[in-house]
Amino acid sequence: MALIYSFLVLLLASYINADKETLVLLDNLAIRETHSIFFKSLTDRGFSLIFKPVDDSNLVLAKYGQYLYKNLIIFSPSVEEFGGSLSVEAITKFVDDGGNILIAGSSNSGDVLREITAECGFEVDEEGATVIDHLNYDVLDQGKHTTIVADTANLIDAQMIVGSKKTAPFLYRGTGLIADKENPLVLEVLTASSTAYSYKPDSPIEEYPHAVGKNTVLIAALQARNNARVVVSGSLDFFSDEFFSSPVQKALGGQKYPKSGNQDLSDSLTRWVFKEEGVLRVGKVSHHKAGEKDSPQYYTIMENMVYEIEIEKLEKDKWVPFDAKDIQLEFVRIDPFVRTVLTRGADGVFRTEFKIPDVYGVYQLKVDYTRVGYTFLNSATQVSVRPLEHTQYERFIVSAYPYYASAFSMMGGVFVFSILFLHYRTNEEVKKKSE
Amino acid sequence: MTASVTSVIAKFYEEYAKTTPSKLKLIDAYLFYILLTGIVQFLYCCLVGTFPFNSFLSGFISCVGSFVLAACLRLQVNPENKGQFEKISPERAFADFIFAHMVLHLTVMNFIG
Repeated sequence: MALIYSFLVLLLASYINADKETLVLLDNLAIRETHSIFFKSLTDRGFSLIFKPVDDSNLVLAKYGQYLYKNLIIFSPSVEEFGGSLSVEAITKFVDDGGNILIAGSSNSGDVLREITAECGFEVDEEGATVIDHLNYDVLDQGKHTTIVADTANLIDAQMIVGSKKTAPFLYRGTGLIADKENPLVLEVLTASSTAYSYKPDSPIEEYPHAVGKNTVLIAALQARNNARVVVSGSLDFFSDEFFSSPVQKALGGQKYPKSGNQDLSDSLTRWVFKEEGVLRVGKVSHHKAGEKDSPQYYTIMENMVYEIEIEKLEKDKWVPFDAKDIQLEFVRIDPFVRTVLTRGADGVFRTEFKIPDVYGVYQLKVDYTRVGYTFLNSATQVSVRPLEHTQYERFIVSAYPYYASAFSMMGGVFVFSILFLHYRTNEEVKKKSE
Repeated sequence: MTASVTSVIAKFYEEYAKTTPSKLKLIDAYLFYILLTGIVQFLYCCLVGTFPFNSFLSGFISCVGSFVLAACLRLQVNPENKGQFEKISPERAFADFIFAHMVLHLTVMNFIG
């Protein structure tokens, strides 16, 4: 009896924590030790990490059509081929089905990593290329100026993704990424400074480097249209214990920071990519005529309408009411006729009141909230708006009184005229009659 | 130039007063009244604007329709045109006039809103 009870509890617990199941793919199990602080911070936040070597032949992401993991961490930059049932297509399908991925590359990234990141909208630089910055390298650099210091000024302006920008600068050693600037879903989270470039450190430069200056992306992110999140870092060492605890000082003179900002940034990044931060959802949507409570079957033109929507944000595993001042409502019939801002009431519900335009038809009440760092919020409700009934038009309009008067006077005129016409007798006729 | 125009108008008026039968003069007076009403209405619309456009149209059409019907009656009742209206006696013309007015005023009342 107790066994069944504990089994049920375990089942329930595993169901609740299904969002925290994470598969970690490693090149070699030594990474587990060199990145222990990073993994410990994840397990402290409730993630259940499953470590597997990347060429393990028993790797599966899904069993019987259900995904075993919600998140994937690929800390195997030099992988040549995935083991088991994993492949570039399987990983792409994983993202298409809503899974989140954190990928770390390095200067000797394999081609498989290039294929995965290409699917996500970024390009990893060639084999052997490293980000080099001759003006912003750390004092502890080995001499090739590849351990670079990235300032917090190069971070994207999105508190949801990177947390506060007041941390120490970051240490980075790895390859550079190139993000497609035309892609609206790609975010350049951390770029190199304008003096950086990405090239093989030992070869003389014979051609123009693929990534130069601010175009060299160090950490890139993607939020897909189904709200799946992917973060790619060109440096596996960014997450290492060595970089987390190392002091930072630019070799060419600069302030010495006792601890790099790597741990803070990786904390914020993992919170964002594994959907602990910046997740919104739509609760109840309702609309009714001003002054009433229930939704009517249809509306009539030029009526006042009230629209209410509940939007919630995920905060520490609980859904709390969201607060923002820039959520817009559109009243669309092919083109938007009304566009207003929703204001938040005391009960946390966003509402607005507006007048339905003078045009009848089938409209949609659309809320489309897209902000950097938040999941895409889309809500569309269809309403029909009818024209005025025959009895709902204005009658006895004062400015039309002359027209009413003229119509009635015409009728009166006919009446008087016909009496006169019929009873009219000329003098000759009167004389004839009297004869 | 103006002298000849005024003399033409004076001559026309004299001829009209002498040669037109009184019955037709009655119809002409009625026509003039309708014309005045129509002009006043149109000027009012130009001044105030076309807000209840259906009311304006209805009132104006009522004037125009009455004018047309009265003009038709005058044509048919004029003894000089007897040759052209052999099948239609003056009484029949008047009956048609009244019937058409019924229809006209029904439409006007419906459209005036």
